[in-house]
Amino acid sequence: MSELLEVVRYREVLWNLVRRNLKVRYKNSILGFAWSLLNPLMQIGVWYFVFKILFGRDEPNFMALLVTGFLPWLFFSQTVLDSTACVTQEMALVKKAYFPRTILPLSVLLSNLIHLAFAFIVLLALYAVWGVDVTIYYLWVIPATLLVAVFAYGLSAMLAAWSVFYADVRFIIGNLIGLWFFLTPVLYPVYHVLKGSLKNPDNVVEIFLSAHLEPLKKVFMLDPLTIGVESYRSALLYGGENFIKIQVTPAMTELEQANALALQEGLRADYPLLPYILGAVAIAVATAIIGQWVFQRKAESFAEQG
Amino acid sequence: MSAIEADSIWKEYRRPHVRATTFKEAALALLRGQRGYDEFWALQDVSFTVEQGEAIGLVGPNGSGKSTMLGILARVLRPTRGAVEVTGRVCPLLELGTGFHPDLTGRENVFLNASLLGSGHRQTAARYGDIVDFAELSDFMDAPVKTYSTGMVIRLGFSIAIHMEPDILLIDEVLGVGDEHFQHKSYARLAEFKRAGKTLFVVSHSLTGITTVCDRAIWLDRGHIVTDGDADEVVRQYHDAVIAWEQSLAEAKARDASAS
Ligand SMILES: Nc1ncnc2c1ncn2[C@@H]1O[C@H](COP(=O)(O)OP(=O)(O)OP(=O)(O)O)[C@@H](O)[C@H]1O
Ligand SMILES: [Mg+2]
Repeated sequence: MSELLEVVRYREVLWNLVRRNLKVRYKNSILGFAWSLLNPLMQIGVWYFVFKILFGRDEPNFMALLVTGFLPWLFFSQTVLDSTACVTQEMALVKKAYFPRTILPLSVLLSNLIHLAFAFIVLLALYAVWGVDVTIYYLWVIPATLLVAVFAYGLSAMLAAWSVFYADVRFIIGNLIGLWFFLTPVLYPVYHVLKGSLKNPDNVVEIFLSAHLEPLKKVFMLDPLTIGVESYRSALLYGGENFIKIQVTPAMTELEQANALALQEGLRADYPLLPYILGAVAIAVATAIIGQWVFQRKAESFAEQG
Repeated sequence: MSAIEADSIWKEYRRPHVRATTFKEAALALLRGQRGYDEFWALQDVSFTVEQGEAIGLVGPNGSGKSTMLGILARVLRPTRGAVEVTGRVCPLLELGTGFHPDLTGRENVFLNASLLGSGHRQTAARYGDIVDFAELSDFMDAPVKTYSTGMVIRLGFSIAIHMEPDILLIDEVLGVGDEHFQHKSYARLAEFKRAGKTLFVVSHSLTGITTVCDRAIWLDRGHIVTDGDADEVVRQYHDAVIAWEQSLAEAKARDASAS
């Protein structure tokens, strides 16, 4: 708590570091700031090529679903990855003067929030092209972002502190984030996992998965990222509707449509959102508290290291 | 009222045998039941009080704990035992060139650095002209700091610190790096500081520098205070001790040579 007051007192350092992070990221590049718009655009271009052209995925709204879900993921993963270097990179400042060290992971979080805002502009431009309507439900993006931000901050603070003492943290996290990406419903909608079953498990991993499938699905639903990513879709694309949603297309036969709807209703009944959302919020807040505690405890000896 | 009160300060560093910077090394060391580090007491029971308006010098051989002491006063390091009480606004100038971002310009670094020392944006903007004038670097403020020479970095750092209107200025071994002209200017500014009733705490190996600026000095050796008193007196004792030690070394060497 007193650390929070200190951060407020030293907010000028925070603004300066954020400004610095933004400037340095695109330093030595001719296009400079334009990259924060170009980067997401190019990523989307790559996906368009891979999924639409190579794999021929033609579900309705496929690109919109993908890109919308990618935004909170990108924000999360970039924040966590950046955090592993945030103290070591600023060792010169840490050794120079006292300031509340919490400012370091906070500056990473804020910088990435700003990048998220830029990416959002790109998204809105694409929506205009795709003809997605703007609704009042867009506002749900704010709590969804907050949820992801709190969770990301907790992990960042913890990782920032540990990576001062153990360089391995950076490599481990790089790989874990790669795995986590596929465990988060970015490339697929959440119902794919919820309806999934393993009919004929034939190796150790599959046997384990099929034996614990239901609890694992619950864990998956409690992941603040699952909730965050899908809430973005709900807010921006589904008009605030429950995000356990199966797209129904005119190309489907009437029976297929009815089956899809029945499945959707069944899943919605099995996985009522409210408890999962509250659970995810609790996990995010707990992570933030633990992360901050670890960080503050380690911060005392940052200046003695390297 | 006293500006600094250091009450029985102890500082322990853990010095890794072989730096265990990976989990594997740490885990292996743990398995073998090794602690993996030596405990090393860089400061042992150091106590002193500095009155407001005093100029005090810290002298002693390399590794005697001077920078550690200053780091503790600046709140960059935490004492393992003991407590420090510092009254007033502190401006640290710790070790060479720290606190600058090499890729940012001089101007950007001034604002970042000043904010670290507690100055708001508008305040810094108001002082900016004076800072640049004193450092005499007006032609370089838009160049990245990595293109500066060592002395230029120090000039900028020193200039920022003295324009922050600190009550207590902590200086670690930075005065020797500026050129002759800048040293004159710096010493003159420090004298002005003293006249204005501010507190100075200077670490330096330049004994003449210490006797010029400081009224009082502390001689630190291997983490202990040897003497604390009038600057000229302490500096003379320290100097004599070094000379005596060198003589005994030379004699021992001569004895060895004649014995063999
Ligand atoms: N981060 C650290 N980790 C481990 N040991 C350290 C660390 N910093 C300093 N030490 C040890 O503490 C002792 C005191 O160091 P310190 O830097 O305070 O000396 P000093 O008096 O400033 O020396 P110098 O005159 O060379 O600047 C030294 O023996 C040094 O090896
Ligand atoms: Mg030193």
